[in-house]
Amino acid sequence: MPRSFRFPFRSRSRIESEVDEELAFHLAAMAERLRSEGWSASEADAMARRQFGDVEYTRQYCRSEDTRREQEKHRMAIAEETTQDLRYAFRSLRSAPGFTLIALATLALGIGANAAIFSVVRAVLLQPLPFATPDRIVRVWDQNPSAGIEEGVFSEPDFNDVRASSKLAESIGGYFFADGQTGLDLTGNGTPERLSAALVTPGFFETLRPRPILGRVIAADEHEVGHNRVVVIGYGLWQRRFAGNPRIVGSTITLNGDPFTVVGVMSPDFAYPAAQSLDAWIPVSYFGPDAIGRVRGAHFISMVARLGPGITPERFRTEISGILTRLSKSYPDNPGWNSAGVKSIRESIVGDVQRPLYVLVAAVGMVLLITCVNIASLLLARASTRQRELAVRAALGAGRGRIIRQLLTESFALALAGGALGALLAYVAVRALAAHGGAELPSAGGLHVDGVVLAFTVLISLIAGLLFGAMPAFRAAGPALERSLRAGTRGSVGAQGQRMRSALVVAEVALAVVLAAGAGLAAKSFARLLAVNPGFDTSNRLVVELHIPDRYSTEQMMRVYYQRMLATIARVPGVVSVASSKNLPMQGAGESTTADRLGLQDVPTGQGAPVQIQFVSPGYFKTMGVPVQGREFEWTDRDSTPEVFVINQAAARRFWPGENVVGKVLHIGKEQVQIVGIVGDMRQRGLGEPVDPTLYLTAMQNMRVGMDIVVRTQGDPLNLSRAVRNAIWSMEPNQTIVKVTTMDLLLGGAVARQRLLAWLLGVFGFIGLVLGALGIYGLLAFSVSQRRQEIGVRTALGAPRSAVLRLVIGQGMMLTIVGVVIGSIAARLLTRQMQTVLFGITSGDVITFVEVIAVLVGAALLASWVPARRALAIDPATALRYD
Amino acid sequence: MARESLGLLQGTVDVLILKTLSWKPLHGYAVADLIRQRSGGDLAVEDAALYQALHRLERKGLVESEWGTTDGNRRARFYSITADGRKQLRTNVAELRRYVSALFRVLEPA
Repeated sequence: MPRSFRFPFRSRSRIESEVDEELAFHLAAMAERLRSEGWSASEADAMARRQFGDVEYTRQYCRSEDTRREQEKHRMAIAEETTQDLRYAFRSLRSAPGFTLIALATLALGIGANAAIFSVVRAVLLQPLPFATPDRIVRVWDQNPSAGIEEGVFSEPDFNDVRASSKLAESIGGYFFADGQTGLDLTGNGTPERLSAALVTPGFFETLRPRPILGRVIAADEHEVGHNRVVVIGYGLWQRRFAGNPRIVGSTITLNGDPFTVVGVMSPDFAYPAAQSLDAWIPVSYFGPDAIGRVRGAHFISMVARLGPGITPERFRTEISGILTRLSKSYPDNPGWNSAGVKSIRESIVGDVQRPLYVLVAAVGMVLLITCVNIASLLLARASTRQRELAVRAALGAGRGRIIRQLLTESFALALAGGALGALLAYVAVRALAAHGGAELPSAGGLHVDGVVLAFTVLISLIAGLLFGAMPAFRAAGPALERSLRAGTRGSVGAQGQRMRSALVVAEVALAVVLAAGAGLAAKSFARLLAVNPGFDTSNRLVVELHIPDRYSTEQMMRVYYQRMLATIARVPGVVSVASSKNLPMQGAGESTTADRLGLQDVPTGQGAPVQIQFVSPGYFKTMGVPVQGREFEWTDRDSTPEVFVINQAAARRFWPGENVVGKVLHIGKEQVQIVGIVGDMRQRGLGEPVDPTLYLTAMQNMRVGMDIVVRTQGDPLNLSRAVRNAIWSMEPNQTIVKVTTMDLLLGGAVARQRLLAWLLGVFGFIGLVLGALGIYGLLAFSVSQRRQEIGVRTALGAPRSAVLRLVIGQGMMLTIVGVVIGSIAARLLTRQMQTVLFGITSGDVITFVEVIAVLVGAALLASWVPARRALAIDPATALRYD
Repeated sequence: MARESLGLLQGTVDVLILKTLSWKPLHGYAVADLIRQRSGGDLAVEDAALYQALHRLERKGLVESEWGTTDGNRRARFYSITADGRKQLRTNVAELRRYVSALFRVLEPA
């Protein structure tokens, strides 16, 4: 038993009165002697004071010296006691290895999960944006309510008019960027490379105000034709391709075959509008009207704006909507685009991931909570067996506060040790996440465990320690302590302690229900997403993305190149067939328009409905494994032959319901186009997205530079990737290749975020389930051991086995049911927040709830079964003799 | 009136107090009295400085105090020297001795 007795510390008033008394004694003694030397009483007093010197100063000085001494003593005593407590805590935790191991393991999981998710939230949601005063920057969308388009982009004439008319914005800028789509070919000085690039308008840099680390951004007059061969290159490109050479600024590089002057190098943290990194920013004016349409119907510019001081996004939205309404009235060839959507730039960047992240934060919070409840329950059970030991300490002079402090020290030591393990887990988890899930997260570049994350870990460890330690500590040091000392026997847990543990078990079950419900919903949503028929075959399909080089400048040259490209790949051994589309599924939506814009005159329904247009090669549908009714494009469909369409079933349903339109001739403007085939619906924009009515054109009649080539292979498609690449380069050594992947990987990438969410919530749900079951098991096992005698008597009096079973399992089920009811209500309320991240299932899905409850009750039954078996095995004779 | 004694004087007061207490525990008045008697009245430590020194020494752990009763049966605070205090006293005395003899080697060369 460590020494816990100590002198009580002197209070401030005690220190003061002692100094007073000491000085008074001195003055009195001195005055007495003076009187004995013959001075009068009043003279003696005055002389004594005079001789003493400055009494008041001395009084203050002595008091402050005494106070300092007292404080030092106090500090030393606390330090000594804490050392004692820690040593004691260590010994006591070591003497209960089972408890310690469970507590440490669950804490490590709980704290580690929280630290890991916090790292992600910090990197993605809390990191400052690399813009000056980002709070004033907004994203602006062009809206076409009649076509159901809420997040549309602007045409250049509309953009210019809005930019010129807005009075509330300090500056407005725009860009044309599509991940993996907008790019430039860098040639000369090494292997040809396809760069990711943003094409920016005047005002882009003035609005965002990024700081280049070298040189400058593109100046206002450099957007004018004749001066616009300028480029700001990204930090990554500068390092990768130019070895960080500072003399790059002012030098000339070749992009798309044209000389561009490098005016600046961007700082590494700025990649807007890309999520992770971008190679180049050039003026959008570089691409003339023949490359990108500049009419009001050609929407391609994304808008950002810097608001003037004090301007709210809503006020700005009203202004822009007004301008757009006016424009749509003045230009009848551009109907419907009459309102604007505005969001803060932060929301536009992280909006998608915000909700899933908050769901994860809530889930890990609950995991930690359930961990704390579990440990609190274990501590309560432990306290009852430790009551004797604590009582002895109390008898030896340890006060209530002292015992509470000692027990709390134990909890904090446990929590911090768990937190240390948790930090290690988080480190591993975050590295794995950054490596595998990084692409799913904007600004994941800053994803790592650093000092702030560690500080957070320490903080939540301490909170956890307080959460699970406080209640058991106060209880253990409570009135029961005296009783148990007086009783002097093996501590028996009172009805109150049992009730408290029961409440904790109920809380555990309730939390487990919430976690498992969230996990169940996420898992089902993911399963439904995977079960969606994409509408095409994904296995054994190699995907090669490239763009026809600029030097093939005429339609005729491009057509020849296009056809040669596909023929070259088709000759590679192991290739079954090959085809191309401007956008393969999961690779972007394609060009979108509306039926009336297109000039579709013979559509009975859906004039304003959105239509996607895809440009594909002959044999595309066969290679993709899509059923065709009628025929698909042939190489014989050329610019010299009549123009033909293939439409998908969604378009047939939308525009000509109940009509067989194969062979139908449409009048588009003045042209006549025949529908030669209807093909199965393909999920173009993602598995969870609806299929848009789509018109397919053959590239041979409408050429586009983008080629997403799909190669059907025998066996593993990746085995052919080298051969296909070499075939391409043997044909055109300067051909840049954006990426080589497989259809399966594209599809996997499209569901990666859902997979991550389902997987993480699944892990958390499982932890919740196990901890809940552990809680029930622990309580029942303890309860059976406490009720040995009672059970023994019942058995001796002839109670059937079933009655004993009912007794124990009934207790477990009772708690489970109460927990399930509370948990279900809480889950119903909380999972509502998940609705937007779920696919094909509502947040209140009854079947999921029933299944989750069934699994939990099953686990609870299992957890009750073991203690019940033990109760059955109780031999009445031994039980009655016992104790 | 000087609020703080001079450095040399303060050190001297400390060593005088420690020496006095090395014989037996005493209260402040008795310490002052004894110093006066032993020095034949030549060294008169100001009472204020004495008490400040006593409390300072206690804070440093060189002396400790306890309440007791005097011969005249009055409550008084008695100071006693600690082990650390004795060590300090030996060091200080040795230092003073060296200091004074060095001083006199200059003032009165043999």
